[in-house]
Amino acid sequence: MSYASETKEKVHALFKKTSPLRLALMVSSLPIFIAAWWIFALYLQGQNFYYLPTPLEVWNALILSWELDPVTHQPLLANINASLGRFLLGFVIAIVVAVPLGLLIGYSSLIDAFSKPIIEVLRPVPPIAWVPFLLLALGLFWGPVITIFIGVFFPVLSNVIFGVRSVDPLLIDVAKTQGASNRQVFTKVIFPFSIPYIMTGLKIGVGIGWMCIVAAELFAAQGGGIGVLITAGQTIGRYDIMFAGMVVVGLLGIVTLTVSEYLEKRVKIWMGMM
Amino acid sequence: MDGHDVILSIKNLKKTFPKDDGAMVAIENFNLDVKNGDFVCILGPSGCGKTTLLRMVAGLEPLTSGSMKVRGEDIEGPGSDRGMVFQEFGLFPWRNVKKNVEFGLELKGIPSEKRAEISQKYVELVGLKGFERSYPRELSGGMKQRVGIARALANDPAVLLMDEPFGALDAQTRNQMQMELLRIWKETKKTVLFVTHSVDEAVFLADRIVVMTSRPGTVKNLWNIDLPRPRDRASSEFIALRKNILDELEVQKTGA
Repeated sequence: MSYASETKEKVHALFKKTSPLRLALMVSSLPIFIAAWWIFALYLQGQNFYYLPTPLEVWNALILSWELDPVTHQPLLANINASLGRFLLGFVIAIVVAVPLGLLIGYSSLIDAFSKPIIEVLRPVPPIAWVPFLLLALGLFWGPVITIFIGVFFPVLSNVIFGVRSVDPLLIDVAKTQGASNRQVFTKVIFPFSIPYIMTGLKIGVGIGWMCIVAAELFAAQGGGIGVLITAGQTIGRYDIMFAGMVVVGLLGIVTLTVSEYLEKRVKIWMGMM
Repeated sequence: MDGHDVILSIKNLKKTFPKDDGAMVAIENFNLDVKNGDFVCILGPSGCGKTTLLRMVAGLEPLTSGSMKVRGEDIEGPGSDRGMVFQEFGLFPWRNVKKNVEFGLELKGIPSEKRAEISQKYVELVGLKGFERSYPRELSGGMKQRVGIARALANDPAVLLMDEPFGALDAQTRNQMQMELLRIWKETKKTVLFVTHSVDEAVFLADRIVVMTSRPGTVKNLWNIDLPRPRDRASSEFIALRKNILDELEVQKTGA
């Protein structure tokens, strides 16, 4: 069955099962939210409180920033690219480090015994707490990148370890009776078995990493970024642009999370786990 | 090699498991010779160590003392000269039927055209032609075990070890698979060591039945089943044989 027809069926089933009231609530919730925001913003502006722009002002700021935003003096896409680039770089480094390390820790109880105390000490430190140090130590480019790295690293690592430990011992017995060496058991059974767990780690990492990039950029970042846009808007009093940045962050967050959820699901189906 | 060569030889086998207070003796003084082409069923009450015995032949469990030889060589760990079929199938969910069957060939580094040729032969032997690209989740229990059998045979093992292979199937599929297994056995002329707790299954399949005692497991009796195949479960000989073996198992249960 193709994914398109699957989706179509699901949408169809959703409309079929959902009661009219439920459907009406679902469809009207966002317009009602925007209307409430609008009324609230207008009310506050009537009270000489100008920090909350109306949805229309934010929309206009978005259009304006698209060409060339007056705060960072570059097109919105350049800011988006700067943030996404850093995000991807930190994300990829985290995967490259966390996946092999997780496989080793999950497989070897000796490596686990050594690394566990270190990991458990470092894990509770929120990635954002590292930002001041990282910016000083690594500068305005690598500082934010390594913040993402820290944010993505731990959830991926935990999931890889969990994946390796979840391997069905029966499959290992099967591989051995088929003549597999220890190395082959690892590459042909343990690693493939862990892939769906790795994907779950990536999905969680995407969410955390995205929060980290914006937070890191709020301090400072080389070449702009959405976080920079938000802070700069605040600094010079362009609250419409500040909010436009927040909207962009939210939308991109939805996109990255949807993509990673989709990939996770595809991989799990491919691996025969769904 | 003539047809009466001993393929598997087990002598004075002992297996103990460590326990809080000393050791638990699972198998003791176990002797068995299996000849080339034999279909041997190992029958015993649950906990008698029959699965442990099979796992030791497979090399998945070390023996405590005694000797186990396949084709005259001591068993030292698992190897592809002993193929094993597991009760819970143990198919790799991320591999399709063809790739599951080719697993052992892949480990040996056999090139893909040769692999495809061999896997196709065994896929067809077990009656799964047309399902080469199907994934385990798309198969019924009976079909899954056909894949398990094809995968074990693809390595061309000296002995086929089967650990209650039809135990997870419904009664009807089970009977069907028993007939299929006999057909496959005749076509491949493999030596089979088959563990079961079903007397009916053992009498239907085996040339010889090894009845084990409960823990510590040892050979209580050896039955030669001379009934011609295909065997008729409703025949008086079949029923009598089944009753006698069942009685033997019952005696030890009450005696224990």
